[in-house]
Amino acid sequence: MQIKHKYFIVILGTLAAVIISFIIALVHGSTDIPLRTVIQALFSAEGDLARYAIIIRRIRLPRIALSFLVGSGLALAGVVFQGVIRNPMVDPYIVGISAGAGTAVTFVIVYNLSFSLFYFSTIPLFAFVGALLTVMLVYNLARVGSKIPVMTFLLAGVATAFMLDAVRSFVMVLGTQDLQRVVFWLMGSLSGTSWSDITMILPYYLLGLLPIIFFANDLNLILMGEESAHHLGLNVEKVKKLLIAGATLVTAAVVAVSGSIGFIGLVVPHIARLLIGPDHRKLLPLAAVLGGVFLMLSDMLARSLLPPLEIPVGIITALVGGPYFIYLLRRRKSESW
Amino acid sequence: MIEMLEIEKLKFSYDDKNTIIDEINLAINQQEFTAIIGPNGSGKSTLLKNISNLFTPDSGAIYLNSKNLNRIQPRELAQKMSVVPQDTNLSFNFTVYDIVMMGRHPYQGRWGRVQDRDREKVEEALALTDTRQFRDRDLNSLSGGERQRVIIARALAQDPEILLLDEPTSSLDINYQREIFDLLSYLNQEKNLTILVVSHDLNLSSQYCSRLILIDRGRIFAGGSPQEVLTEENIGQVYQTEVKVRQNYLTGRPYVVLMPGRAECVPARLQQDFKIHLISGGGTGQELLQQFYERNYHISCGVLNQGDSDWELARRLGCEIVDIAPFSYIEESDLQRNREKIEEADLVVVAELPFGHGNLKNLEQLTGFSDKQIFLLQEKSIAERDYTGGQAAKLWQQLLDFPMTRVFTGQQQLLEQIDEMADQTGDCS
Repeated sequence: MQIKHKYFIVILGTLAAVIISFIIALVHGSTDIPLRTVIQALFSAEGDLARYAIIIRRIRLPRIALSFLVGSGLALAGVVFQGVIRNPMVDPYIVGISAGAGTAVTFVIVYNLSFSLFYFSTIPLFAFVGALLTVMLVYNLARVGSKIPVMTFLLAGVATAFMLDAVRSFVMVLGTQDLQRVVFWLMGSLSGTSWSDITMILPYYLLGLLPIIFFANDLNLILMGEESAHHLGLNVEKVKKLLIAGATLVTAAVVAVSGSIGFIGLVVPHIARLLIGPDHRKLLPLAAVLGGVFLMLSDMLARSLLPPLEIPVGIITALVGGPYFIYLLRRRKSESW
Repeated sequence: MIEMLEIEKLKFSYDDKNTIIDEINLAINQQEFTAIIGPNGSGKSTLLKNISNLFTPDSGAIYLNSKNLNRIQPRELAQKMSVVPQDTNLSFNFTVYDIVMMGRHPYQGRWGRVQDRDREKVEEALALTDTRQFRDRDLNSLSGGERQRVIIARALAQDPEILLLDEPTSSLDINYQREIFDLLSYLNQEKNLTILVVSHDLNLSSQYCSRLILIDRGRIFAGGSPQEVLTEENIGQVYQTEVKVRQNYLTGRPYVVLMPGRAECVPARLQQDFKIHLISGGGTGQELLQQFYERNYHISCGVLNQGDSDWELARRLGCEIVDIAPFSYIEESDLQRNREKIEEADLVVVAELPFGHGNLKNLEQLTGFSDKQIFLLQEKSIAERDYTGGQAAKLWQQLLDFPMTRVFTGQQQLLEQIDEMADQTGDCS
């Protein structure tokens, strides 16, 4: 009974957090708009409201929506990687995904490879290809026999990320005219978001989400160890590959529009696990919502702390997430997580 | 008897060079309780991993209920066969109930909706393994034996026809070992479960299992009842160690008793049964004294002047000493006392000491023991240590002619030889 009770509180609390942070994010910005005006501007663009309607509908709403998407995507990918690798220190950044996606996107920006293929934009596509190649490389580098020891996986990820960063820097040096765009992208920012960004990444995002939703329960079995999961009737290799592909796709999609925003994929899964336990059927949705809220609020701060200047949101998430993560590490006594 | 599992000409290797399993044929019948035993690296765990479809054989095949194991869907296989792996450590805070419920995975839908039947089976598994009281605890808060029972409960929740276990008791205390095997025995007899366990514990397997399969270097060396398999010859050959096989009077099953090799003689040494009489002086016996002392030999020291550095050390080590006043000559009465010690000793060791007129009598006395075991240490020739104008050298030569005398040019060889001697002298049956 008590456990049920706890879930109820967590769900209610999260819902409240979503609504409240949504409102705060709408109201605050480089100029604060009163809540009353915000609500009016949502429904009417007449007279005085026209100015606010543009700010709210074309600038803030898409940005809030995107920040939620990006935050939840990174958190989901974090949960999946931590589960598949069975280690809490893994996140999409450590694994090298963002380095891979980032390098690919840098190529696209510098060499103007961005174009629309049917409905799909090519930036997320390149990001995904870069990310997937990196993950495959790291995965194979780390493989010892049929196992993937956590330590070699992390080391391979870090080493690969370093090399890719070097490649990226080199490309940046070659394409100095685009330097500012690339640098801003690298720092992680959601500025200048429009609805088209969302429609650009949404197909990839949803596609990546499918295996994550589909295999959420199987991820629990993988936590028992791959051999045990096998004995419980799971086709471990297949499920693992699909989960990694899904998480990579989601990460690549959000990295394509947001650049590298660190620590969400690492910290949010931890907080969610503390709140609701390790069962992925509950953990994944909670982490997604928390990640969304976390980035929504961080981006609000990025917009409003030093107007008219915008702080890259990656700086804020790292400054908030880093210390919290250290706190978690220090507090953690047992070996379990 | 209905055949459940059939292994046909199974071959397996991790890489192409080293064959781990070298053609194994084996049939397991329903309701058998079989143990696969064998030395480390014999391939017994690998065999289990082939049977549990974790590895695919290089050639040959395994049939479960006459169906090729590799062609059975993982899900379907998990409904028929469950496995308790060797390592049950978990770094996740799942509750015991959640973990046992995971055993129902092969029967559940995509998102693991729990049906009444699942709950019943989980309750049954918890009851059988006596883990109900832990249902809300984290697995990591349990002891090794309790944890193992939870993992067995999860395996039982799979409602299998055959249960495989890989070294289920390898890290457990004997009370837990008994507990686990009692449970397996119960499941085998009362729940008609077919059980195949890999174990390195010969005696545990012998007491509980109806059939043993002894594996050696990837082949079946022997198979059958414990009486047939656990023979002194079989074990001696496979494990290359000497054992005695006795019978447990209560169960009638054989049990294997290890016969210690050299170690058996240590108690004799511990009782200081091996006596050495050392003749030294002027610090030449220090290292030998130390070594003898560490090896727990019974030491006596031949006529030493009080205040001599060897005398000091011997006294500190509590050796028996025949001593005389500083700078005095050895008298007949001293020699009498010394003779007693020499007679008692199993061995007389003469260190590399210089001989003068003061201690020449030590050497002279030894020439009276022609059938005594005497070890002489001689790195430098006697001539260099002879301050008696050739007398000592002559006596030395006399000693060398005795049949029981041996000369060593290094301390290490001397010590090794003594150890060997001591081991043979001890009460080694």
